[in-house]
Order: sequence, then structure tokens, then C-alpha cells
Amino acid sequence: MVSGSRLERLLRQGEFVVCGEMSPPQGADKAPILKKCEYFRGYVDAVNLTDNQTAIVRMSSIMSSVFAIEGGCEPIMQMTCRDRNRLAQQSDLLGAYAAGIRNVLCLTGDYQTFGNQGDAKGVFDLDSVQLIHTVADMNSGRLLSGDELKPPPAFFIGGAANPFAEPLEMRIIRLEKKVAAGAHFIQTQPVFDWPKFEKWMSAVRDAGLDQRVFIIVGVMPVRSVKALLYMRDEVPGMSISEECIKRMESAQDPKEEGVKMCVETMQRLRETPGVRGIHIMPVMWESITPRLVEEAGLLPRPEPLPVEEETTAEPAETS
Amino acid sequence: MSKLTEAIAEFTERHPTLYRCVLFGENVFKKAIFGCQDCGQCVLSYNAFVCCMRCPKQMRNGPCGGTRPNGRCEVYPNRPCIWWLIYKRAKWMGRVAKLKKYHVPVDRRLEHTSAWMNMFAGRILPLDLSKELREIELPKKDPPPKW
Repeated sequence: MVSGSRLERLLRQGEFVVCGEMSPPQGADKAPILKKCEYFRGYVDAVNLTDNQTAIVRMSSIMSSVFAIEGGCEPIMQMTCRDRNRLAQQSDLLGAYAAGIRNVLCLTGDYQTFGNQGDAKGVFDLDSVQLIHTVADMNSGRLLSGDELKPPPAFFIGGAANPFAEPLEMRIIRLEKKVAAGAHFIQTQPVFDWPKFEKWMSAVRDAGLDQRVFIIVGVMPVRSVKALLYMRDEVPGMSISEECIKRMESAQDPKEEGVKMCVETMQRLRETPGVRGIHIMPVMWESITPRLVEEAGLLPRPEPLPVEEETTAEPAETS
Repeated sequence: MSKLTEAIAEFTERHPTLYRCVLFGENVFKKAIFGCQDCGQCVLSYNAFVCCMRCPKQMRNGPCGGTRPNGRCEVYPNRPCIWWLIYKRAKWMGRVAKLKKYHVPVDRRLEHTSAWMNMFAGRILPLDLSKELREIELPKKDPPPKW
């Protein structure tokens, strides 16, 4: 046990976890976060709070995570390398831990020209692998500079993986690097292309990585075929199968079909060996989460057992 | 690296004109052939001789998740993804094992200094031309002087 967070305890107990995701508001009010927490509380085990996703300015992921705790949800704070240098990242991590945040997802971040501040300077002082390494170092009581940290934080560290980008061998090498750098869990892009995902997952299993890290796979409910086409054409690194597009196109009620498709993916993922949880990304459609979790048969969510003092094993040995 | 190379680096760094000549020679060679971005801590020999600092996000440990299906960059669709090039070249040269190397954060103090002299002085990883991956621990050293 590293952090003793709810997410970590459930994963180490061998439960199949469910994560949600919400984007912080574009405004100076915490009420939208508290409202979205209503959709997640009791239905998911932890919620990702995005860090200026697609390079659009929103409330900071750290403060949003604090508000999510207030709203009764366990946050997974996302941290990108686009907006901060190594000094700011480390100081923000210390503050986040002091505020009660236990899970952190380390990302490189979307390039600044994709958002509404295309004229900004991208920092990219560290990359995501180096950030994971930095957080792992901080957990063991050292800053990047080698200076001692007293008391050290204890984060449950996450990384991201894209199962759909090419070349596959390079993706596995990078995933291996993230695990070696100290990642405890991995979250992926949403699955809309099952054959490609299967191929990636079997490569992960062949490399033995599913035994060394908790793999949480993304799913996304879509409301229309337009959303799918947008993702296929405009979002780099996404892969949408023709089958999905045809299915959404021919549907009488695209909203219902989108939910059905998402639930089917969730059930299939539950049966896939090596997958330890799912990560629901309902972009601007958070209210659908309870229905998805219920229809996939993942309710009620389990409660973590109380932590025993001597369980300090590394993920390699327990999973 | 060795006593001799350290002495060469020390001598060069004590003589600004000589250092500038070395830096100029290095840049003429590396910028023209490898598209070097002058980070001063060369990892070309690990990355199949393609400079990873040409990536818009300056990824040193592998590609980001945005590589397009045709191997193009997510930011500039008319340019290839640098890590796609690195992988293809590494595959062709039989140097894929080298891509597994974890690269530490860039020391920004070394930017626009001579990577050759930094390597001679033992500040950065030495050139590695073998196909297998060697693990090297570097001692902490002061950055070179700047004039």
C-alpha cells in the first residue's frame, strides 16, 4: 500500500474499479463541481479532474480536486507538463497532498495550439515519464534536486497510455518505461475499436505489464454519430471502427444506442483478462454515469476494507 | 569518460575562442545532418540518430499519444512524428533495445553548449554505438562556464 487511497485499496483487494471524469468549470464558482459530484458519488470509486484539457483554461485541477473531496468524491488529480516547470509541479504536488489529494495522474498534456490560448508558451520542462519518476522520488522522500523532503507525500501514481496509436511496439516500450519510472496505475483512451484494443492488450499481457501495474481502460458514451466522426477526424490518436460509426448512423435513437454501446464495451472489458477497472469519460454528459454503471451490473460499489498496518507490499507482488 | 577527455574538455572550456570554434564545428555538423536543436546533452546515439528535441513537446522518452495513423505529428500534420521516425530507423538499424533507455530531465543549463565537451567532461551520457543497452550512472558535475 502506498497512499491508502480508496482507489488503491480497492485495486489491491482485487475489485474491478470504476472511475469517472469531469472537467472543472470555466468560471469562478465551485457549484458546478459540487453538482457533478452528485452524479458520481456512490456510483464510481474515484473521479478524474482534468488539468486544462485540450489546452482550454478552466479552474485548476488542484482546487477542483479539493472541491470534489468536499462533494464526497475521491479525486484523481491530473497534472500536465504543458503549463508548469519542475519547480511549480513539485510545489503543487506538495500542496495537493496536504489538501488531502492522494491520486495523481501524470500527463504530458495537449499542445497549447489546440485550445483557446494558441499564442501561449508551452513549458514541457519534464515529460510524463519524467514526471512519474519525480512523483515516485517525492514519495521516497527526495525532490528532483536530491534535497530531502520531510515529511514526504504518498501519492498513488497514474500514467496514461494510448492503445490505438502506432507503432504498437513503441507504445509498449513507453508503457514499460512508465511502469519502471514508478506508475501504479494506467488509464487509457476510450475504446471504440475493439480489435485494435485486443491487440494492444495481448501485447501488454505478453510483456507481463498487467501483473506490474493496474490497467484501467477508458470508455465513452456518445450522443450522436457526429461526435464519433469528430473524434475520428479531429482528435489525433483516436481510432473509431467503421462498425461503431455504422451502428450509430443506423440507430433510431442515437442517444440510447450510444448508452447501449458503452454498456456493452464495459461488460466486455470486465471479462478481458488483465483489465482491472474502467474509466468512464462522459464528456459534458456526467448525468449519464449512474445509468451506465447500473446497466453494466457494477452496482453497488464495494467498500474498501480497513487498511492493515503491515501491508506495505509493492504492486508487483500483490497483483 | 576518461582522464584524457576530461583534460581536453577542461582545457577547451578555459579558452573561450577555442570553445566557440568547437561549438561552431559541432553545430555545422550536427544541425545540418541531424537537425540538432542544441540541447547540449545529446541522445542521438540512443535514438537511432534522429534528434528527439525536434518534437514540439520535446518528448525524450517516447511518443505522445497523438501520433496520427499515417505517422504524422498531431501538432503539425504536414510533418512526420519524430518518434515514428526514430522507431522506424531503430528497427532498420536493429537498435530498438536502445529506445528502452530512460532519459533524465533535460539540464537547461547545458542548452546551447557543446555536447561533445559535456560528454568529454562526463556531464552527460557518453556516445553509445553498441546495439545493446548499457546502464550508466553519471556523477553530478558543474555546468560548463558561459561567456
